[in-house]
Amino acid sequence: MRNLALFGLLSVSTALMGQSASAETEVIVWVAGEPGQTTVYEELANKFNSENPEVKLTVVNNSSDLFNPALIPALSAGEGPDLFTFGTGPGQPAALIDGGLVADLTNDFYELSWNETIPEGIISQTSSDGKLWSFGNEVETTGMFYNKAIFEKAGISVPTNWSEMEAAVAALKEAGYDTPIGLAGADKWPVSHWQSMMFGRYAGPEGIENVLFADGSWTDEAFVKASAKLQQMGKDGWFGPSPVAIGYGELMDRFWAGEIPMTFTGPWVIDGGIKATGDRVSDFSVFAVPPFEDGQKIHPTNSIGSGWYVRANSEHKDIAVAFINRMFNTLDGRVTLLNSGVVPVGPLDKALAKAEFSPLASDIWQTSDDHAANGSVPAFLDTITPQSLTNVSYDGLQALLLDVMTPEDFTAEMQSAWDAAKAKGTIMKPGGLSER
Amino acid sequence: MFLDPESKLYKQLTPVFFLLPAIAIYMVFAIYPTISVIEYSFTDWNGISPERNYIGLANYERLFSDRIFWEAFRNTFVWSGVIIVINVGIGLVLAAMLARVWRARLIIQTAIVLPVVISPMAVATIWRWMYQPTGVVNQVLEAIGLGGFATPWLGSPDVVLYALAFAHSWSTIGLSVIIFLAGLQAVDEDLYEAARVDGANALQSFRFVTLPALRPVTAVVFILTLTQSFKVFDIVWATTQGGPIRFSEILSTYMYKRGALENEYGYGAAIGVSLLVIVSLATLIYMQIQNREER
Repeated sequence: MRNLALFGLLSVSTALMGQSASAETEVIVWVAGEPGQTTVYEELANKFNSENPEVKLTVVNNSSDLFNPALIPALSAGEGPDLFTFGTGPGQPAALIDGGLVADLTNDFYELSWNETIPEGIISQTSSDGKLWSFGNEVETTGMFYNKAIFEKAGISVPTNWSEMEAAVAALKEAGYDTPIGLAGADKWPVSHWQSMMFGRYAGPEGIENVLFADGSWTDEAFVKASAKLQQMGKDGWFGPSPVAIGYGELMDRFWAGEIPMTFTGPWVIDGGIKATGDRVSDFSVFAVPPFEDGQKIHPTNSIGSGWYVRANSEHKDIAVAFINRMFNTLDGRVTLLNSGVVPVGPLDKALAKAEFSPLASDIWQTSDDHAANGSVPAFLDTITPQSLTNVSYDGLQALLLDVMTPEDFTAEMQSAWDAAKAKGTIMKPGGLSER
Repeated sequence: MFLDPESKLYKQLTPVFFLLPAIAIYMVFAIYPTISVIEYSFTDWNGISPERNYIGLANYERLFSDRIFWEAFRNTFVWSGVIIVINVGIGLVLAAMLARVWRARLIIQTAIVLPVVISPMAVATIWRWMYQPTGVVNQVLEAIGLGGFATPWLGSPDVVLYALAFAHSWSTIGLSVIIFLAGLQAVDEDLYEAARVDGANALQSFRFVTLPALRPVTAVVFILTLTQSFKVFDIVWATTQGGPIRFSEILSTYMYKRGALENEYGYGAAIGVSLLVIVSLATLIYMQIQNREER
C-alpha cells in the first residue's frame, strides 16, 4: 500500500516538474566493489526500471579502494549519488551523519515495516541518536574454506579441536604443502578477518560489544592472547613462509588451483570459485575453525557488508528508498540477492525456499548456523571501526606476522588510535531507534 | 578603438593574448588547486563538514612530531634516489649505447620505450603478479641458478622499496632514454672524431665528450625524474599500500591515507604542501649546481 502511495507521489511530482510522460527521472546509485562482484544490484536496478518506466536507476561500480575518496568530495559538494553503499557503525559513518550529508530514514523504517526485516543487532550499527541512517544490506560471514580432495589424500578429517587442527597442518606440511593455510597478508584486509574472528573467539560477543559501545579496551587480556596466538601460528609457518608478500587475488587463484589446502575467507569468493573450478567445485567445502583453547566457544562471524545511504539533499529520496525496499523487503528482491550469493539481512525462510543456493554457499551458512546459539561476533572489525584504527590494525597485523611487534604493543597501538578517534568524536554514539 | 598593428603596444600585447587561454587553464587547474591546498593545510577540515576552522601552523607542528611522516619522508628520498640512479644514470648509459647500435636499434628502443605507454595501474598489476613468492621473478632466478636471491619481494621490509622503485623505473626509463637519444643526436660528431684522434677510448669519449654535451639534457631528465618520482602514488598503492607495515610508505601514500581515507584533509594538505616544498627545493638546488658548473 505504501509502495502504491509512494509511486503515486512520484508520478505527481514528475508531472508537476513539467516533464513529459515519457521523460525518465535518473537516479544514480553508487556501489563499492570490484567489477563483476556487484552485478546483482544492476540486475535489481534493471527490474526496478522495467517496473517503473518513469524512472531510470543507473548503477555505478567503483572499486572499494577508491570509493570513499570519490564519494566524500562529491557529497561535500552537494552532488554525488542519490543512493550509495558505505561502511556502518560505530566507526565509519559518523562524519557523514555529523556533516548532514545523509538522509534520515527513520520514517521509512516505520512506514515500510523495515522493523520486520532488519534485526535489532543491525539497527544498532546503522542508527544513532534514535535515527536510522542506513539500511544494513547483506550479512557476511567467514569460514575456513578447504580442499576436500587434498584433505582426503593426506588422510585428514575436518578438525574439531585445536590438537586436530595442529595435526592437520603438520600432515599437510608433511605432504609438501608449504602453505597449509593461505593468507593474503599483502592486501592487509584478509588478515583482519582472522583478527576479527580470533578477537571474537577470545573475548566473546560481550567482550567485543564492551569495547565498541562501552568502556572496554583493546588492551584487554583476551585481545592480547588472540594476537599472540595469531603471531605464533605465523611463526610456526601455518600461513607459509611469507604471508605478507601474497596478494588476495593471487592467493585465491592458487587455492582454487589446488596448491593451497585451506584459506579463511567468505562467501563472496564462491562465484569466482565456481567459475575457476567448474565441476571441481565439489572438491571444496567449509568448516568452522575449531576453538583455539579448551573451553572456548565457536562464535560465528556475522557482519553487515555495508549500509545503503540516501544523499541528504537528493531530489529523488523517495525513489532511492523505494529501490532499497525493492531490493531487501520484497520476496523477489531477496531471492535475487540469494541467488547471487548475497544474503540479505533478516528472516530468510521464505526466500530460501525459492532460491538456488550453491552447495558451497550452503556449507558456509550451515557452518555459521551450527554455532548460532553461542552468539555471533563481527566478521569485519575493519569496516565498523574508524579508518584511523583500521590503518593501525592493518600495519600492526603485518608487524605481528613479520614478528617485529609484540601482541602487547599491537593492542596498545589499537587502543591509542581508538582513544584518539573517540576524543575527536569520529565514533558513532550507541545506536537504537526511538520507540514510536 | 583598435590598436594600430604597427604600434609597439600591439606587438607587446599580441603574444600575451595568444598565451591567455593556456594561462587561464593553468590558473584554474594548477594554480588555484595549489593555493586551495595551501589554504586547507591551515585548517582542521575533515573533507565533509561545511566548517573549516583555521588552526594556524598546527598541522605543520604536528608533522614534526609525526613518526610515520618522517618514515615516509625517508622512504621517499630513498625511493627517488633509486629511481634517479636508474632513470638518469642507467638511462644515459643505455641511450649512449643505443646511439652506437644500428642493427636492431629500433627493436631495442621500442622494447625500452613500450612500458612508458602502459597505464600505471597496469604496471602495478603486472609487477605485483611477477613479485609474488611463486611469481615469474623468483621462477626466473631459480631457473638461472640464482635461487639464493629469490625472496618475497613485496613482503620483505628490506627489499620492498627497492623492488617497487625498480618496477617504477621499468615503466619510466624509456622516456629518459628517448630524451637522452634526442640530445645525443645534437652532439657534433666531430668532437668524437677529435677525441679519437687524441687517443680517447670509448669510456673516455663518454666521459669527456658525451657527458658535458648532454649536461642541459641531463638537467631536464633529472628534474623530470625527480618530480615524477616524488609524486608517484599508484604503483605503491596498488601493490603494497605502503606495506609491509610501512616499509614502502611514501609521502603520497601517507597523504592519501591521512587525507582521503581518515578524513583529515587539513593534515593531508599539510603533507602535500611539504611534498611541494621538498620537490621545489630539490629542483632549485639542482639548478643552482648546474648553473654554477656551467659558469
